[in-house]
Amino acid sequence: MSPRREAESDLQRVLAMVPWLATHSGVPKAEVAARFGVTLEQLERDLGLIMMVGVPPYSPGDYINIDYEGDTVDVWFAPYFTRPLRLTAAEGFALLAAGRALLAVPGSDEQGPLATALDKLERALGVTEVVVDFAAPEHLPAVRTAAEHGQRIEIDYWSAGRDALTTREIDPGPPFFALGEWYTDAFDHLRGEPRMFRVDRVRAVRETGTTFTPVPAAARGTVYNPRPDDRRVTLDLPESAAWIVESFPAESVEERPDGGQRVVLAVSENAWLERLLLRAGPEARVVGPTESAGIGPAAARRLLARYQAA
Amino acid sequence: MGCCVEDEDTASVVTGRRDPPRRSPDAPLAFRDLMDDAPDRRERLLNLLAALLETRGGLTRDEIVTNSSLGYPEAPESARKAFERDKASLRAMDVPVREEVRGNESRYRVDPKEYYLPDLDLDEAELEALHVAVTAIGLGGGGGEGAGALMKLGGLEGSGGMPVAELPVVDALAPLFDASRHRAAVAFEYRGRARRVEPWGLTSKFGRWYLIGYDRDAGEMRVFRADRIDGDVVAGEPAAFRVPDDFRADVYLADQPWEYGQGRATRVRVRIDAGHHADLAEQLPAGTPIEHEPDGSAVVELSVVNDAGLRSFVLGYLEHAEVLSPPEARAAFTEWLEQIAAGTP
Repeated sequence: MSPRREAESDLQRVLAMVPWLATHSGVPKAEVAARFGVTLEQLERDLGLIMMVGVPPYSPGDYINIDYEGDTVDVWFAPYFTRPLRLTAAEGFALLAAGRALLAVPGSDEQGPLATALDKLERALGVTEVVVDFAAPEHLPAVRTAAEHGQRIEIDYWSAGRDALTTREIDPGPPFFALGEWYTDAFDHLRGEPRMFRVDRVRAVRETGTTFTPVPAAARGTVYNPRPDDRRVTLDLPESAAWIVESFPAESVEERPDGGQRVVLAVSENAWLERLLLRAGPEARVVGPTESAGIGPAAARRLLARYQAA
Repeated sequence: MGCCVEDEDTASVVTGRRDPPRRSPDAPLAFRDLMDDAPDRRERLLNLLAALLETRGGLTRDEIVTNSSLGYPEAPESARKAFERDKASLRAMDVPVREEVRGNESRYRVDPKEYYLPDLDLDEAELEALHVAVTAIGLGGGGGEGAGALMKLGGLEGSGGMPVAELPVVDALAPLFDASRHRAAVAFEYRGRARRVEPWGLTSKFGRWYLIGYDRDAGEMRVFRADRIDGDVVAGEPAAFRVPDDFRADVYLADQPWEYGQGRATRVRVRIDAGHHADLAEQLPAGTPIEHEPDGSAVVELSVVNDAGLRSFVLGYLEHAEVLSPPEARAAFTEWLEQIAAGTP
């Protein structure tokens, strides 16, 4: 953060802190620091700043009266900054979007405190339609329940990459939504290692009666996790296939003069690459490695066989 | 240092007040100028804001920079620059600094009515629920905006929640949201063309954000992907349009790729082999006819307006699906495959 942005962010916090302190007396400093997301040292600096605020003619009534000598903070008089600064557009949107999104997660309490908070917020900000729609795969509730209670489950799972249906036992983690899909970070007893599963590709869930100790939610942003030994494939894609880069994090993307892109993707399964090439169309090319060059045409011929036979 | 007598007086009243670190008169001005972001710049900004909120008739720049307690540099040019920087900082924080030109000078003030957030009357459980939402839903960019909003509403209540979903937002969304709630039309660049749109609502689907609005040039409702809006969103005057009470942003978004776009729908029949259609009924729009064949395969009839969307759906099954009819749809599909098979566009 630039020094100027830092000063602005300190100020924003202080302006939020004053009205709260003015309506809560004798609060322990540790609590104030946690509430406003700062260290105790930063809190001391913030409080020192608050003490300096005054307007002419600088009589006692023109200052914010604050006492923070001991372990607690008391603001017993604030002639201004009695209310927080209004929300910025980005703050208002972030709050409403996060709230609407959490309410849209299947299984949320639609009449609970989050719903009433959002109604109040909308009344103050002006009503705007912000609607979040998550897919709700059939087995999401079952996977979530199993994750919450630490129940090992047996699932039928369709691996799109290998185009195969398998049955396995997993210890599921709490489902989360990223890149437009629901995932569960699970321990896969078939492979004996942790694996990410797409919940919409779970075809059946059966109880096993075995339990495990639930682990905290997965770190975010690890949905697409290429393994170091995955094959790296370089593709030239036409402009019309820009969706590929938007849908799969590519290892590298280079814009080409003709509007297309040269991308490097990590590929673990052939069927995945076949689907991608067939959708991208005749203008997409595998640049390397050479043994992957014929994958698209070969897949197209395999599909065509079905039409020629008919 | 005109403040000091009063200030010492205050110190005796208020426990713990220290002597304010006002600028020493001997401090070299040029050096002070460089120290623009020293801790006392924060103090100066706070005091400036307090003064702007307190004044009824507004303050001129001269009145502000010559007020010794605010601590502006004495050299007029340095003072002017410092004031301009402070004003820019306040505006960057979205403080509504009003400038009124009277005669040949500007007067500045902050209207408390515009500055203060109205009381939202949120109880503890509601604040806690909002904190959970802000921590559970990742909007990208470190989540600073949501946390900033919570600070203003009274800080972080409770311990937050576990990550549940990632819905990265893009820069265009905040100005679109602002324009939408003020019912201001917006102008922006989209796919190489300038658009004028009434922003009716925002919706997130498939993990992406969309603007739903009335396109004034096209004369109809349109859907725009927020991440494909280029450059700035420019908002016009507020109260420029009305949104019907029964408007729902999400109904404008097609559920299926083959439903995207305008135009006449074609009924296309697709066969999906046994063992590959277990979740089909759940994926398709409600009411889509599915026929189960004796060989275990399923035949569905889709209402298609977007050929590329249909192609993408069928290709997802690789050789386990087939476009049956009409002949034109079947021919278009095989032609696409033949071009790929030939290895030439």
